[in-house]
Amino acid sequence: MNAEILGNHDIEEKEVTSEIQSTTNLHSASDNKSVHVNGKNDGKSIATVAGSSTRRHSTLEDPNFVENYFKNSRLHFIGTWRNRYRKRFHGSSNGLKWADSGQNAAEIAKKSTIIHIDLDCFFVSVVIKNRLELHDKPVAVCHSDNPKGTAEISSANYPARAYGVKAGMFVRHAKDLCPQLVIVPYNFEAYEEVADQFYDILHRHCRKVQALSCDEAFLDVSDLSDVEPEFLASTIRNEILETTGCSASAGIGGTMLMARLATRVAKPAGQLYISAEKVEDFLDQLPVGTLPGVGSVLKEKLVKQNIQTCGQLRLISKDSLQKDFGVKTGEMLWSYSRGLDLRSVTAVQESKSIGAEVNWGVRFRDQQDVQHFLQCLCKEVSLRLQGCEMIGRTFTLKIKKRKKDAEEPTKYMGCGDCDNMSRSITVPAATDDVEVLQRISKNLFGSFCLDVKEVRGVGLQVSKLDSADLSNKGSRTLKSWLSSAPASVHIEQDDNVFSAAVRENSDYNRHATGGVSRLQESESAESSIQSGDTNSSLPPMCHLDMEVLENLPPELLSELDGTYGGKLYELIEKKRGKRKINSSSPHISLDGTAAGIKELKSIPVKIHGLSTSGEKEYKEPFVPHSSIARTSNQGTIEMTDLMPSSLSQVDVSVLQELPEELRADVLGAYPAHRRQQSSSDVPVETCKKQDEEPIDIKGTENEIGFSCSSLWFGNPPLWTEKFKVSGNCTLEFFSEIYYKVAQSRPMLSPVLQQAISEIGIFHDASANELDKAIYDVCELLKQYIKLKVEGDIEEIYLCFRLLKRLAARSQLFLQAYEIMSPFVQASISEHYGGSLSIP
Amino acid sequence: MNRRDDNQSGEVARTVVEFLEVAITMIVSLKGFYPSEAFERRRYMNVVVQRARHPELRDYIHSAASGLLPFIEKGLVERVAVIFFSEDNVPVEKFIFKVTINTSSAGLVEEGQLEFALRSFLIKLSVSKSLVKPLPQNCRWEVTAYLRSLPEVGSSKEGELWIPTDTKQWQKPPVITPVKSLNSEPLCLQLYLEHPNFSEPQPHAQ
Repeated sequence: MNAEILGNHDIEEKEVTSEIQSTTNLHSASDNKSVHVNGKNDGKSIATVAGSSTRRHSTLEDPNFVENYFKNSRLHFIGTWRNRYRKRFHGSSNGLKWADSGQNAAEIAKKSTIIHIDLDCFFVSVVIKNRLELHDKPVAVCHSDNPKGTAEISSANYPARAYGVKAGMFVRHAKDLCPQLVIVPYNFEAYEEVADQFYDILHRHCRKVQALSCDEAFLDVSDLSDVEPEFLASTIRNEILETTGCSASAGIGGTMLMARLATRVAKPAGQLYISAEKVEDFLDQLPVGTLPGVGSVLKEKLVKQNIQTCGQLRLISKDSLQKDFGVKTGEMLWSYSRGLDLRSVTAVQESKSIGAEVNWGVRFRDQQDVQHFLQCLCKEVSLRLQGCEMIGRTFTLKIKKRKKDAEEPTKYMGCGDCDNMSRSITVPAATDDVEVLQRISKNLFGSFCLDVKEVRGVGLQVSKLDSADLSNKGSRTLKSWLSSAPASVHIEQDDNVFSAAVRENSDYNRHATGGVSRLQESESAESSIQSGDTNSSLPPMCHLDMEVLENLPPELLSELDGTYGGKLYELIEKKRGKRKINSSSPHISLDGTAAGIKELKSIPVKIHGLSTSGEKEYKEPFVPHSSIARTSNQGTIEMTDLMPSSLSQVDVSVLQELPEELRADVLGAYPAHRRQQSSSDVPVETCKKQDEEPIDIKGTENEIGFSCSSLWFGNPPLWTEKFKVSGNCTLEFFSEIYYKVAQSRPMLSPVLQQAISEIGIFHDASANELDKAIYDVCELLKQYIKLKVEGDIEEIYLCFRLLKRLAARSQLFLQAYEIMSPFVQASISEHYGGSLSIP
Repeated sequence: MNRRDDNQSGEVARTVVEFLEVAITMIVSLKGFYPSEAFERRRYMNVVVQRARHPELRDYIHSAASGLLPFIEKGLVERVAVIFFSEDNVPVEKFIFKVTINTSSAGLVEEGQLEFALRSFLIKLSVSKSLVKPLPQNCRWEVTAYLRSLPEVGSSKEGELWIPTDTKQWQKPPVITPVKSLNSEPLCLQLYLEHPNFSEPQPHAQ
């Protein structure tokens, strides 16, 4: 398109590397091999690259950059290979049937035998299998063997590895280590052939095959009782060697984890069986870093705690691991260090997301470059979606932006040191339509507000996938959008530092379908626009609620605009001039979208405006000053986040001044936080007593669970008042008892104790009222448990014993007890790993 | 952390360690592990407690508790368990002290206040005989500490007295019986019992 503008002819001569990240993520393909593919090939293997000699190496020079880029990608090969595999081996329906049987993995795990099989340095061996002279020489695969040596090695064989040559290394460095290193190019056709042969063999021997990659698979041989797994593995390996000319290694173990770890030891061209008895010995000295899922960051954290080996890891209880590393990771570490792995071998799973990403050669001069690039990228993604026969609802645009002060990367045209940002949008109707993709990606790109010159990488991912033929019946038009679930935009930047969500107003439908709206006074002229090509179910434009429109995601809005023949933006613009927007939810700027659609050149977007001032003003009276600064720093726009994150930051005097109803609202709106200490342990005096003094509730920590303890907030706690006016005599009575016995010690157990001694017979109310009362009591108990579970299970224990006694006398408490028992057990189990004994 | 806070949390840690020594002795005495003559009545925090008369037993408990001091000071100790084992080395009963010392909020703690709270613990413990299970034949006991992370090797002399445990774990989550909880800033201490869970029906034998 504008290739002639680029003047820099040196670029042509420079070495070219392209880095590609295929983003066809598979559930099972967990190991992120980063693979580098050289763009410039010596033409031998990739005949498909037309005119590779004139190929240009950045978005600046090559109008077909994106297309060419993916033609030369190894990861692209791996990604597309998956489709090939799926079609080849799971075309028939039997493919997924056995997958279901693996559900009770825990029970099966005991007896299961898993073989993990992996071709030895696949990408090299396949290329050199017919070149005997290279067999014992150090060889590495790389797309380029130019003298500058700035290309990255993709895979090296064992003789080369002996010299220290590794994947990802620059050729130059590799040759420093091993001057006689032979560099060979890729041979994608041969890869495909060998991979097919490999899987043919596996499927012939075993029904349960899980493909991890084109050269790596798990076999579940548990039900093949007539064959020794070791024998089977060696048979398969021999067959692979004979058929493909490449050696394979196998690991055999009781779990997928052990099998995989065994392969690592067995390599190259060997096999290892780790029997159940040997698991512990094997793991004892195994460095934690070798466990799958333990990356460098996690490993460092573990080393900081003096955990180097799995043996040491085993000494730490599961709850402390979960506390330190999160529930999932903790669980993983705990079980992996014991060789446990609940996963079972399953067939190739449906992709979770499909997309494409270009992180090499991305240089833009202006919006036009960007638009063109996005168009190409969307084309690629759309093709990939169609190739998988999938359509998706969530679209995520990832941007690599040059870090401030980052220098030009060593790797020619590489991305260098970048900030990663991503934003996504979810639409109600899944699509693979390239035009929709383009529109969405343009809008998403615009929302980043970037200097395009700083962009070093762009990727588009489509997730929430659906099979294309299934969803064909659901139309993908605006009509379905109007009548279906709300669309939402989700924005993420640098790992959630900044996140915002825009939701379609829930009552949108009501307005859009012609309910009374504030816009009815708008010019009658505009109502006549609804005509001709517009769907007849669309409401006249004058019936549209402006506020709703402004809150729509730009994508939806532009769609809507289309249906109204492009008049919608005009209307909005007009209205905007007249009316100051005081909506409480943010708007992804309409003008931004409008501009983006109408003139591609400038895409001003007002994502910054997300933290809406209107809302903040509204909330300010309730919150102490300290929290306001905090709030505005946070880019989140959820209403709750505009408020202090915990009770300790609330100015209680302000809170107490509020009308009760409002106060309850404010309290109810508090986000749930983990609490450490109960608020009732450090009672908060009401302001009636000490108006002027700021009340010290520091003791409550920063972590008071607010929404979960609001009934217990204050002294007397809020529930007493609530119960007093409940109209239920039992609840009223409880409120009274509290004032009598618990004011000095704001606990529930004395109240229950007193209730037992004072109330002989409970008069249960009518069924209707009873339900309400049960609900109230349960809510009270629930909040109390949350409050106490961390620090005072004695009190919980006491309360439940008392409750049990009350349950014998009252329907209300019987039901409350029955409802709450599972809850209290779950809470105790979560915090203490056991169940509470209630005699 | 300034100097005073340091002293403060150190003070709390020392109090906890001393308390643990007394409490562990009380538990062993409560269980009737040794003949009652092995203990003598003493006063601690103005409460009648038991004290081991045999020097070796006394030393063991003392060293176990005081060996924990450096770890408690660092906030590494999550739980301290007194575990009673059956003949085949399977735990039959665990007394768990869950310790949380909030080092950051260790403001002004009145010694007396903490003592008052700990005293209620000892009183409760002395009357908790009904909660505990009778001891099986040929049992043994040990003190196990659960740390939040592995301590650095050789970080302290006392620390070396502690060795990694090979205690068998229960197959199923235990049944918990709370004995006493105490929440007195900066110390949160809970004592509860764990018993193996036999009540649930065994899963299908197959």
